Amino acid sequence: MESPRTTVSKKSRWGLKGKLIISMLLVGVVPLVVGLVMAFYVGYEEIRMVSGTNFAAIATETARKLDLVLTEEVSRTRRITRDPRIIKTLEVRRDQATPDEDRLALEAKMAKGWAKREPELVKALTQNDLGDLLRRYYTGPTTESEQQVPVVTRSAKRALFITDIHGTLVASINADASFANAQEEWFQGAFNRGVGQAYITDVAFDERFKVFTFSLSLPIMDSIRYQAVGVLHQVYDAKEFLAPSVHPIRFGKTGHVMLIDTAGTVITCPILPTGVRLADPRLIELVTPPQPGWVAAPSSGHGDQSDSLIASIAGAIIGYARLPETSRITQSSTNRAWHTFVWESSDELFAPVEHLLSWISVFGFVAIGLLVTLGYMAAGRIVTPIRRLQEAALLIGRGELKERIQIKTGDEIEDLAEEINRMNAQLEVAFAGLTDQVAQKTEEVQYLQQVTDQILDSMVTPIVLLGPEARVEYINRAAKEAFCLEGQEGEGNNLFDLLPLDDMSQTRLEVELDALTAPGGNGKRDLADEESSRDKVNLRDPLKPQLASEPSQARKEVQIGPCIYNYEWFEISARGSGPRIGLILRNVTDESRRQDQLIQAEKLGSMGVLAAGIGHELNNPLFGILGLGEAIQDETDLGKIKAYAKDIVGHGNRMAGTIRDFTGMARSNAKERSSKVDINDQLDQALRLVPHDGENEAVQVETSYQPLQSITAVPEELRQVFVNVIANAMQAMKRRGKLTISTQIQDGIMEIRVHDTGPGIPKAFLSKVFDPFFTTKGQGEGSGLGLTVANRIVTKYGGRMQLSSEEGQGTTCLITFPLPDYTHTGERNS
Amino acid sequence: MSIHTQRNLTLWSGLVGACLLIVGLWTLSYGERSKDEVPLIHPQRVADYVHAVVEADRTIYTTHVVERMQEKGITFAAEHWEQRNALPLPAQFLKYSGRLAAENGSGIRYGLISLWPIRNGPATEFEREALEELLKSSTKPYAGIVKSGKRRFYQAVYADRAVSKACVSCHNTHLLSPKRDFKLNDVMGGIVITIPLEE
Repeated sequence: MESPRTTVSKKSRWGLKGKLIISMLLVGVVPLVVGLVMAFYVGYEEIRMVSGTNFAAIATETARKLDLVLTEEVSRTRRITRDPRIIKTLEVRRDQATPDEDRLALEAKMAKGWAKREPELVKALTQNDLGDLLRRYYTGPTTESEQQVPVVTRSAKRALFITDIHGTLVASINADASFANAQEEWFQGAFNRGVGQAYITDVAFDERFKVFTFSLSLPIMDSIRYQAVGVLHQVYDAKEFLAPSVHPIRFGKTGHVMLIDTAGTVITCPILPTGVRLADPRLIELVTPPQPGWVAAPSSGHGDQSDSLIASIAGAIIGYARLPETSRITQSSTNRAWHTFVWESSDELFAPVEHLLSWISVFGFVAIGLLVTLGYMAAGRIVTPIRRLQEAALLIGRGELKERIQIKTGDEIEDLAEEINRMNAQLEVAFAGLTDQVAQKTEEVQYLQQVTDQILDSMVTPIVLLGPEARVEYINRAAKEAFCLEGQEGEGNNLFDLLPLDDMSQTRLEVELDALTAPGGNGKRDLADEESSRDKVNLRDPLKPQLASEPSQARKEVQIGPCIYNYEWFEISARGSGPRIGLILRNVTDESRRQDQLIQAEKLGSMGVLAAGIGHELNNPLFGILGLGEAIQDETDLGKIKAYAKDIVGHGNRMAGTIRDFTGMARSNAKERSSKVDINDQLDQALRLVPHDGENEAVQVETSYQPLQSITAVPEELRQVFVNVIANAMQAMKRRGKLTISTQIQDGIMEIRVHDTGPGIPKAFLSKVFDPFFTTKGQGEGSGLGLTVANRIVTKYGGRMQLSSEEGQGTTCLITFPLPDYTHTGERNS
Repeated sequence: MSIHTQRNLTLWSGLVGACLLIVGLWTLSYGERSKDEVPLIHPQRVADYVHAVVEADRTIYTTHVVERMQEKGITFAAEHWEQRNALPLPAQFLKYSGRLAAENGSGIRYGLISLWPIRNGPATEFEREALEELLKSSTKPYAGIVKSGKRRFYQAVYADRAVSKACVSCHNTHLLSPKRDFKLNDVMGGIVITIPLEE
């Protein structure tokens, strides 16, 4: 009894509760995860966009600022190149008609001296007029009209000197200038075949100054700006010159601006050293387009390794912008443009998102924990009363719930508990009523059983109720007395062990009982079989009075001891084990004797009637014969004697006919040999047998035969039938009229019709025509046995005989036989 | 290098080629004259030739390239044409072709100058005078011999008018433009042509 509860408990323990917890968890976790993802995505995108846009703006602003610094420096330098004193000096140098050989020799000599920094030479080139002029430009403040040169710009200058059209040093502010510059790129670029153009070199390490430098070279055009007459060259410490404009721009811990060229060379950067080259060519390509903008590049070029996943996904957010004016010069110089590059470490950049994500994750875990705890508690609150309800339901199922279910949740579950309490109460009431009813019905049944037993015991008729295999289940007192049994003896025994029967009776009873109890083929017994078997064993209502007219051979009687019992099987409907068979025995010892006596008396009566009839029938012709015999004795006239003799013969024939009829009736039970008989043939023979004397000549006979099947019968008997019928018809027609004989097969029945055109039979007599000795003929014309005999014979062979007649219209005798091989049950029965 | 840039360079090359041809012919004829007593061509005439070619080239470029491209919406002309993937302005066209002609070593120089320059002001007093004179009368070029050191050059300054709306609108809106009330057909500056005079 414990196992179901245990099973249910195990099933439900993690069923509903687990589902509730999981549901609550899902309700909490799904929005949490979606929120996390959304927060991450939105934060990530926002930061990317905002940072990128900001970086692009910073890059553009810085580029503009740097461009301004550089273009101002170019303008400032250009003003030097337009100094008339310088131009004039250089024009003079240009116009000197010194042969090239002499000039080259002199320059070579001076170059050597300059390389050694010979003081005189150095003084000559640095302390000359132009040198002084240059120095004044360099120091700035001496010229009132000029703007004050920014200190930074001045301090970043490492060299400032002028060359002539051959690249030879003309004047310098210090001894750091190079003497012969004809082959220098900056000179060739700035001089530009005399056309002149501004030239800015790439940033490169300068061995003289041990720093990375770039230079600005401007052509010094002649007074009409027709051609260059020299080049002004300035060398700048790249970092010192540009850093003040770039390095102060810092944001966050790593955010900064740097300046690179399109080759990826770092010109200045707060982090990277000047002159290094960005390793990633893809990055260089991404950050050096003409237009300012920002990009999420795969690397930043700063060799940083992103620790966080977000940073590595986002890549390096870089803002960039080209220095437009400066780049115009640098591109025409070395085909490189200068770009600002704004970058902040993605780790730092996306730190807010990571922090947000971390906090949301922490919050999420706390929320999940809370959800689990609250879910567990809530599920417990929901599931516990349900479990109590479940246990209560189990108890109700076993009828053991005696106490009310106490659940105070104030919700539907409490309502449900109340309903279950109410239901339980109603069930208890209902069960209590049922128990009382069962007890009452049991008492009634017991009472009825006692009454039945008493009734059955009080009956004088022995009654036996049989179970399977003819075992006696009940036997009443009368039966015990009849079977000489005492007490409980007999019950449980086989019926045939109890009944002291002779072998034949026992066999018959056994056969009948088997037929009753034997199930039909394949367990089916159709109605016809059942009815036929019932007919066979004559199963009938035992209380129905037996008809006196039933034939004696149908009586079922057995002799037990000195008594003769008429027995009847009867069926009792019983549940489950199928119908039971009962046997009722009625003591007919006296009744049987009386019936035998009655039969004997009936036989004697019949014999009397028969004898009277025979006597009557024979007496008349006999008296006629006697009278005629006496008349012959006295008669001499031979003619009359013959006439009398003829009458005597006629009377004799009549007597012979009477005797023949009587004999036919008497012989009807005689055992004669049966054979296949053709009915049409017998009809013909009968026609021939019926006297065809002059009396019958006026009768017109018409036959119409159809081929019929032969039936098994005694030929003489059949012929007797037809003779009687035909003779009857002949007599009825008074020897005049038309006799029609026809045979046919219709609906499986062979029909023989004999129709006469006689006066017919009154309806009052139609029901008596088959009674013995009933005749409508005059005295001496018929014995009243003809149709009786015929009907018996026809019935014997399974046929039927009917007479139909209307007065004045003649009579039709219809004899029918079933076809021997006709199998239609219904037709045969009809 | 963009297609436009290539196309522009082709145009410049054509123009420079034409200039060189003219200058070459002139030089050749001068040389032959000197040898075979061929009469000298006056530098003013040479300047006129060069001016005619330069102006014709710029007009063709302005009307048949820049304006047509802009009308069809294919591209436009802008000062920072390299960055904006655009066509050079007609003034820039003239300037760059002049630079190209000079870089070829031919000796000829031509360019734009203005009293209200965006970039190119008068380099010498002669040029300033020329521009001022052209403002008064622009029918004839202002020409003369100028000196650089010992070298002499024939310089002719031709009035340059605002021939299209683009010229006016650009100069009236440019941040570096000192004058912003130009009207169509105004004299905005001049084309200065410098021819070295061999001594």
